[in-house]
Amino acid sequence: MTEPIDTSIYSAVTAAIQTEAQRILAAGLVTAIVGYAASRRNGSTQPIIVTDAAAAEKLIFTPASVNNLALYLTKAKKEIPKKGKIGIVVKGCDLKAIVGLMGEAQLKRNDLYLIGVPCAGVLASTVQPSTALTADTIASKCTECDARLPSDCDYVPNVQLPTQPQLAGKYAVEIARLEALTPAERWAYWKEQFAKCIKCYACRQVCPFCFCEQCLCDRNKPQMVDTTPRPAGNTAWHIVRAMHLAGRCAGCAECERVCPMDIPLNLLNRKMAKELKELYDYEAGFEVNDKGPLTTYTDKDDQSFIK
Amino acid sequence: MSRIGVFICHCGENISRTVDVERVAQQVGKMPGVAFSTDYKYMCSDPGQNLLKKAIQEQNLTHVVVAACSPRMHEKTFRKAVEAAGLNPFLCEMANIREHCSWVHENREEATVKATEIVGMMVERVKKNRVLPTITVPVTKRSLVIGGGIAGIQAALDIADCGHEVILVEREPSIGGHMAQLSETFPTLDCSQCIMTPKMVDVANHPNIKLYTYSEIELVEGYIGNFQVTIKKRARSVDEDKCTGCGVCMTKCPQKKIPNKFDQNIGMRTAIYIPFPQAVPNTPVIDRENCTMFKTGKCGVCQKVCGPGAVDFEQQDQLIIEAVGAIVVATGFDLYTIDEKPKGSLIKGYGEFGHGKIPDVIDGMTFERLASASGPTGGKILRPSDGKEPKQIVFIQCIGSRAREKGISYCSKVCCMYTAKHTMLYHHKVHDGQAYVFFMDARTPGKSYDEFWRRSIEEEEAVYIRGMVSRLYQKGDKIIVRGSDIAVGVQVEIEADMVVLATAIQPQKGADTLAQKLGISYDKYNFYSEAHAKLRPVECATAGIYLAGACQGPKDIPETVSQASAAAAKVMTLFSKDLLEREPIVARVKESGCVGCFACKKVCAYGAVEEKEIRDRQGNLIKTVAFVNPGVCAGCGTCQATCPSKSVELDGYTDEQIVAMIESL
Repeated sequence: MTEPIDTSIYSAVTAAIQTEAQRILAAGLVTAIVGYAASRRNGSTQPIIVTDAAAAEKLIFTPASVNNLALYLTKAKKEIPKKGKIGIVVKGCDLKAIVGLMGEAQLKRNDLYLIGVPCAGVLASTVQPSTALTADTIASKCTECDARLPSDCDYVPNVQLPTQPQLAGKYAVEIARLEALTPAERWAYWKEQFAKCIKCYACRQVCPFCFCEQCLCDRNKPQMVDTTPRPAGNTAWHIVRAMHLAGRCAGCAECERVCPMDIPLNLLNRKMAKELKELYDYEAGFEVNDKGPLTTYTDKDDQSFIK
Repeated sequence: MSRIGVFICHCGENISRTVDVERVAQQVGKMPGVAFSTDYKYMCSDPGQNLLKKAIQEQNLTHVVVAACSPRMHEKTFRKAVEAAGLNPFLCEMANIREHCSWVHENREEATVKATEIVGMMVERVKKNRVLPTITVPVTKRSLVIGGGIAGIQAALDIADCGHEVILVEREPSIGGHMAQLSETFPTLDCSQCIMTPKMVDVANHPNIKLYTYSEIELVEGYIGNFQVTIKKRARSVDEDKCTGCGVCMTKCPQKKIPNKFDQNIGMRTAIYIPFPQAVPNTPVIDRENCTMFKTGKCGVCQKVCGPGAVDFEQQDQLIIEAVGAIVVATGFDLYTIDEKPKGSLIKGYGEFGHGKIPDVIDGMTFERLASASGPTGGKILRPSDGKEPKQIVFIQCIGSRAREKGISYCSKVCCMYTAKHTMLYHHKVHDGQAYVFFMDARTPGKSYDEFWRRSIEEEEAVYIRGMVSRLYQKGDKIIVRGSDIAVGVQVEIEADMVVLATAIQPQKGADTLAQKLGISYDKYNFYSEAHAKLRPVECATAGIYLAGACQGPKDIPETVSQASAAAAKVMTLFSKDLLEREPIVARVKESGCVGCFACKKVCAYGAVEEKEIRDRQGNLIKTVAFVNPGVCAGCGTCQATCPSKSVELDGYTDEQIVAMIESL
């Protein structure tokens, strides 16, 4: 199954991003643009903050543009100017994070200039950045993408998305497999996964929703979560993370991408999202909601847990 | 180092029967930080409390744990005692070893171990208690009363008579509510208008009452003692200051055939109107939907004939902001719509009774208007269809009420009594007529109520048939009513001239919207919920808001008046002090950790969380954080549980304390 995926539009997208970036920077509509630029390694990209119209030509979009740049609007925002509107290059999946952050009073729509990217998919973290995008090399999250064309952006390059081959949803398959296990088997699976954790907190640092200035896991009065990478503390950390992201995470899968121990973190998030969909018919990231399903009570809420 | 005193109560034998209290005292006495521990038969008694006070002074105690019953029972008692001995009352905690232990266990050994652990947990918790100063909040000594029926009028008069200003807001053009519509009232048959209108006039003339009629509540902000209320005063099109109430405009208005809602739409009114002759204020209002001037731009007769020039077609709706300290909600009831299912309602209609289709099938309130001397028929009982006097009349009870399958399971409480009254009024006015009543049960608790009902049967010749009506249809000019008499076990069929349906009481339309503006809770029928069904029946769970009358549930007039006076007394209690004291068990935000996601604000049921801007010395915004208003916070702890970064702490229940309790086990 090495079916190729057509990414020919990306060069047109790159050109359009550059033109638009140049225009809005020159016109003073924004003070900075967060986007992707070529990196040193062959084919790889890295986030870049452009503040000068002349530097807009550095902006690109390729199958290696994997990062969720929404991160640079919250905790990593120290690097970008404090005043004025900020432009940002967003894929559909990244936009969901921005939408969520707006609902949580972390971002204001008026402070942003959204450059939406029609996206055919990006590469999995396990392959070299110069690899061609195929059904095998595509990131797992892209197999289940429902937001190839971002909506409600200030600018979206006018290109036609090519038709995509039908891809099997990798998370859906894995969730179905785990759901079929007995609770004991499932617990064994996750215990094994969490045992790998080295508590580097890369998943926390890369998550756009982990915007707390003081993570509760770093608090020591009282110590909520054991800080050393031992089974109990690891499990506590991953459960806290999954619970805190329930109803908020829209699946950019950055946690999973950066995990040095290859713990399937997004799998846990997708399972939580599935529960939320089934219980409250709620999907994160599509509209700015003042109140998510877990901070609201309605008498239609599922009560079956009360026994 | 803390010097904690632990006092174990026997509660007579309630605790000591199952728990070895001496052993608990002994064990806990060994815990680090515990300086004194003892047991006593009744800690809450006078000698018990003295023992506690003496120990605090003699042993130089810094914290106190009383192991006894539920804190709901005696926390206040012991905190007071601790305060009397010179300690901050919030350095005293209770360990519940009665409800949580002795009452629910049988094995003495195990119960003793559990009691020791419960007390041990509280010892760990109290070590970390802080001295909490009582919170004081200033009180604006003005109150808002929403609804100008008998409930609102009574509450407003009581508060105003105590010397405090009242803002009375009524949606309709006149105050009076449903009681003004009634002909006579049970169980004494005195004329409703005769007892109601003097009170209405009192309201109009009272120097402490500011009356806004034809007005609605737009927005409620603030908290107990400090509410800001925005009132929308709808355009009357008549200047209240200029109008003398002469009524010439109404006699000259060419639009004369508009159904009058006050007369249940059987009487007619003009487009510029007062709903009824005794209306307060006696200032007409122009019904813009039906006024020729507003529809076509031509007419203006009322303006021409008005001597003082009070008619003002240009008048606009006004928004008025009033500051009040307390709110009494008295929005009353509405009658069940019989013929159709109201949109969005959980209640099904009663199409089978032909209301709306058969003109002589009317509801109870319409009968009141027919029987009223000021009603459309001048007090004669006449059929709406042909104006003839009905000689056979059938009353059907429990229409809508007590019918779970139709959506209402509650009893409307007043229908049994008012139907008995209707049979009497009918008998007094139509001497040769016969009244029949189909009923399920007669519910007549209340002073002189059952006697009244008996009188309708024994003296006023009403025939009561126990059973429900199965079918009702028009035949010629008669209405055939078919039903069963379950007492005898036969089918009955009555050829009636008129049928009166005793329809259920429902909350006023829009009751839910108003509740959302006020931040008070309501049940599935939209009746407002009281804070405690038995012990706090006139207060809402939201501090500073009180309930009066049928907005809380079906009520008759005496009950409504009592509740209105009770609500007024609650308002007066609040106004009796310049500063309101509140228990300081409230949440605090640790601003250093708060990232302003406002999850706490979203979950706060009391609207206590506000947004606070933190600025540097130059005035630049550093960040926006949550702020818990201690005047509003009820100390429920939901914000603490929700905060993802653990930046909210509830005093007395901090994470540190809870973890210390768990770790003591």
